[in-house]
Amino acid sequence: MIAYNTGVVLAGASFLGASSGLIGAFALLRRRALLGDTLAHAALPGLCLGFLAWGERSLPVMLAGALASGVAGIAVVAVLRRFTRIKDDAALGIVLSLFFGAGLALLKYIQTHAVGGSRAGLDHYIFGSAASMIAGDVKLIASVALVGLAAVVLLYKEFRLVTFDAPFARVQGWPASLLDFLIMLLVSVTVIVALPAAGVVLTAALLILPAAAARFCTEWLSAMLVLSALFGALAGASGTMLSAGGGMPTGPMIVLAGATIFLSAMCFAPRRGILARALADRRLRRRIDDQKTFLAFQRLRVPAGAAGMTFDALRSEVTFSPGRLRRALHRGEREGLLVGDGATWKLTEDGHRRVASLARAQRLWRAFLVEYPDLASTFADLDMERIDEVLPTEMVAELEKI
Amino acid sequence: MCPRQTPNDPHLGRSLYAPCALLLIVIAALLAGCQEPANGSSAQTKTSAGQQFDGEYPIQVVTTTGMVADLVEHVGGVQVKVTPLMGESVDPHLYKPSGGDVARLNRADMIFYSGLHLEGRMGDVLSQVARHKPAYAVTDELDREGLLQVGSETFDPHVWFDVALWRDCLALVEKSLVKFDPSHADDYRGRAESYRAELSELDDWCREQIAAIPSERRVLVTAHDAFHYFGRAYKIEVKAIQGISTQAEAGVGAINELVEFISRRKIKAVFVETSVSERNIQAVVEGCEARGHHIQVGGQLFSDAMGAAATPGGTYLGMVRHNVNTIRRALE
Amino acid sequence: MSTVQGTGSELPGADAVAVGKTPSAARQATSDPAPPVLDIHDMTVAYHRRPVLWDVDLTIERPSLVGIVGPNGAGKSTLIKAVLGLVPLASGKVQLFGQPAARQRQLVGYVPQRESVDWDFPVSVLDVVLMGTYGRLGWFRRPGRAEREWAMECLRHVGLADFARRQIGQLSGGQQQRTFLARALAQRAEIYFMDEPMAGVDAATERVIFSLLRELRESGKTVLVVHHDLRTVPVYFDQVALLNMRLVAFGPTQQIFTNDNLRKTYGGRLDILEAAGQALADERRSV
Repeated sequence: MIAYNTGVVLAGASFLGASSGLIGAFALLRRRALLGDTLAHAALPGLCLGFLAWGERSLPVMLAGALASGVAGIAVVAVLRRFTRIKDDAALGIVLSLFFGAGLALLKYIQTHAVGGSRAGLDHYIFGSAASMIAGDVKLIASVALVGLAAVVLLYKEFRLVTFDAPFARVQGWPASLLDFLIMLLVSVTVIVALPAAGVVLTAALLILPAAAARFCTEWLSAMLVLSALFGALAGASGTMLSAGGGMPTGPMIVLAGATIFLSAMCFAPRRGILARALADRRLRRRIDDQKTFLAFQRLRVPAGAAGMTFDALRSEVTFSPGRLRRALHRGEREGLLVGDGATWKLTEDGHRRVASLARAQRLWRAFLVEYPDLASTFADLDMERIDEVLPTEMVAELEKI
Repeated sequence: MCPRQTPNDPHLGRSLYAPCALLLIVIAALLAGCQEPANGSSAQTKTSAGQQFDGEYPIQVVTTTGMVADLVEHVGGVQVKVTPLMGESVDPHLYKPSGGDVARLNRADMIFYSGLHLEGRMGDVLSQVARHKPAYAVTDELDREGLLQVGSETFDPHVWFDVALWRDCLALVEKSLVKFDPSHADDYRGRAESYRAELSELDDWCREQIAAIPSERRVLVTAHDAFHYFGRAYKIEVKAIQGISTQAEAGVGAINELVEFISRRKIKAVFVETSVSERNIQAVVEGCEARGHHIQVGGQLFSDAMGAAATPGGTYLGMVRHNVNTIRRALE
Repeated sequence: MSTVQGTGSELPGADAVAVGKTPSAARQATSDPAPPVLDIHDMTVAYHRRPVLWDVDLTIERPSLVGIVGPNGAGKSTLIKAVLGLVPLASGKVQLFGQPAARQRQLVGYVPQRESVDWDFPVSVLDVVLMGTYGRLGWFRRPGRAEREWAMECLRHVGLADFARRQIGQLSGGQQQRTFLARALAQRAEIYFMDEPMAGVDAATERVIFSLLRELRESGKTVLVVHHDLRTVPVYFDQVALLNMRLVAFGPTQQIFTNDNLRKTYGGRLDILEAAGQALADERRSV
């Protein structure tokens, strides 16, 4: 049984992670991943004004103020981008510093003037305190998460269209700017609601990290959204449990968990991950080395049963390093295509067959490039032996005749 | 800065780039190295120690916290006008001075601050000012043996919770004022003496009051860990959520521990502080309720700041009395 | 190849005719002769004080294949974007089939430049083509089986049926262009606007595109194409618009695509004129 507080934080952090991940995916694809950071910073003046207007610390009033100034910040970003030459990154930076500076000034004013009511801990809304989530916080976060989910489900095709190709959407008659604003509004609400619990840094991280991790893992938007929400929830949950066990502050642990998930996805994701790409590249390079090595045999015209080729002779026929040549030769030996005795290498029967097939492929590709120069860029494949898979059969048959 | 290419030696310009760059780097490093070390405490520097007051009364004194202001006022009386930078409900651990604050510090005749790194973010400013003004940390002459140690070289700065310790700070204030304004030395000494007596009386009263709480319920649970001196002086157990400085964020593990502790010992009340956010306390209360242990917020304590100027909580004496009364009422 | 746009009756439940005023519907409404397909009047588009398009008047009376050519920066893309409402007009009026362009969205198909989109976006070829059907679905509705089949039909028509499930980043340039075309086809428009569809594609794709354009015109659609290769203008287009901030000339290719007009448009750049002249000569010889 876990402690009550741990349970509360667990639920809150998981919901927060899931909703941030979901919405963050759209922000990421829109190239506005840092919007969450800007929003959180832009919320500060609204928080302070809410406090000043109400006279004391009331969470709903302050959050409403935070939302208003956060949204105002985003509107300013949009205006800057549309009517001036300032680009996205600069616009975000400008709004962030402008609003946050104003917020700090207001905070200072509040600190030094007796305005009644306890004003302690106002700046904790910047840093947040995930560990002290109470049931009320979790309810708010969960409802916002559900609203976000409903919006994404209902407007999935609209959001996808506007994120992918906004001008086309406009031509079709969709209110592209409105839809864009709606997405940003969802981001805003998620961020603002997260602020008291999570603070600025954590919210910005939760918006970016799960989405970026999910991007590595899939090529489909729907899968990316689901994964992003899952990764976010996972980061929230594991960060909470680690913090409960070890005594480390909860917010930073959640960020660390999120970062770990991202790094793992970046390195180990199938096909798009760094490791997978490196392995695929290595596999391809080996195949090419092998093919070139065998073609070298063919060029030197080794008849079956002859004494075999010396290493140096082979080396003069290929353009890559002796180390790579040696490895290729050993690979051929392991596959039963070659027989070597240290100094010379001989083709086996299987080896001869391989050489013949390669020579055929090379001949056919050359013919293809001559006969169909216009198709070259579409179909040419560095891995020569794939010619039968890549080109249609009739075309191959035609090329054979040449 | 670097000479152009000369007709005779076209490579001269290029070969001087490296030495020029090196020179720039060395200059930059020297400039950077010439900074004052960030230090709050021993700013009682040689340059300003010998100064004496020769202006118009009252002497303009600027302090950091209200508690220090209170101390100086009781010694300086009509001869001083004391302005604290931090008002009610301000957290001195996190307080960053504004341009106005720095100006005020520069206009002051004397400066007093708490010291022991309480004013965590003002170290640079204070050491800057100390170079041309008399600036004193009131805790500087306290015997380090009597302080609570936190790290290898750092001490818990919340000494004003132990009235006796705070009373001992009077000596330094008295001495500094006398040195700065010898013409009123007798006034200062007199006032210090009488306030010293008041504080001793208060110290005894506190001990008596707290002792009246039954021992098994004598536990003080607060938001941040400021009350250790209080606990040691008046024999009450002290527990908190956040650490010594409010700059550190709490972990859910710490909250769990506290909930467990409170429920086990059946403590009746926890306390919020005026200068610290209540969020952590709220979470603890909810956690205890979930375990079936009913707990209430016993009241608001003054921890790192005093109350508003015109209220009873706005003086040191009033603040201590309020705290002790609140604690006793809630825990008895 | 089958015709791309039937009457719409292959797909159950689809609108028989696009919602919006087409020539036939307009003719039924009044006894006037059919309004022009596209009517641009006094269009000016500017960036602050610098005009990009200046006082352009262009009317396309009947369905035809129109090429828009001009030097770089002449405003060709801008013309299309202005008609479609993607850039604001400093002045002027645009009508499609007798009605303001903004109200005729259902009749419009659009093929933007390839660079306008992030090809790394996680969607498949089929997903992109399906986007062409969104205009008729309205809010909240998802594309269903009918839309999916229609999209596959369009893909088959451009020769990309085998690539339906590929992520768009894995396509070659020509295939990407064809995806955009299939999407436009899926829109079931009466008038198509294409922004440099043949730029940077292989010859096979160019042939596919061109035969598609021909088909569209034969089934009564209008296609406006911003084109970059002067040599192929006489081969591809019925009418040509020569644009260089102002409309230099517009009309049937035979009449308008002359050395004189080209000089007025391009300002005497010999290499272009030579290539164009060569093209004209070849065309005349083959007729």
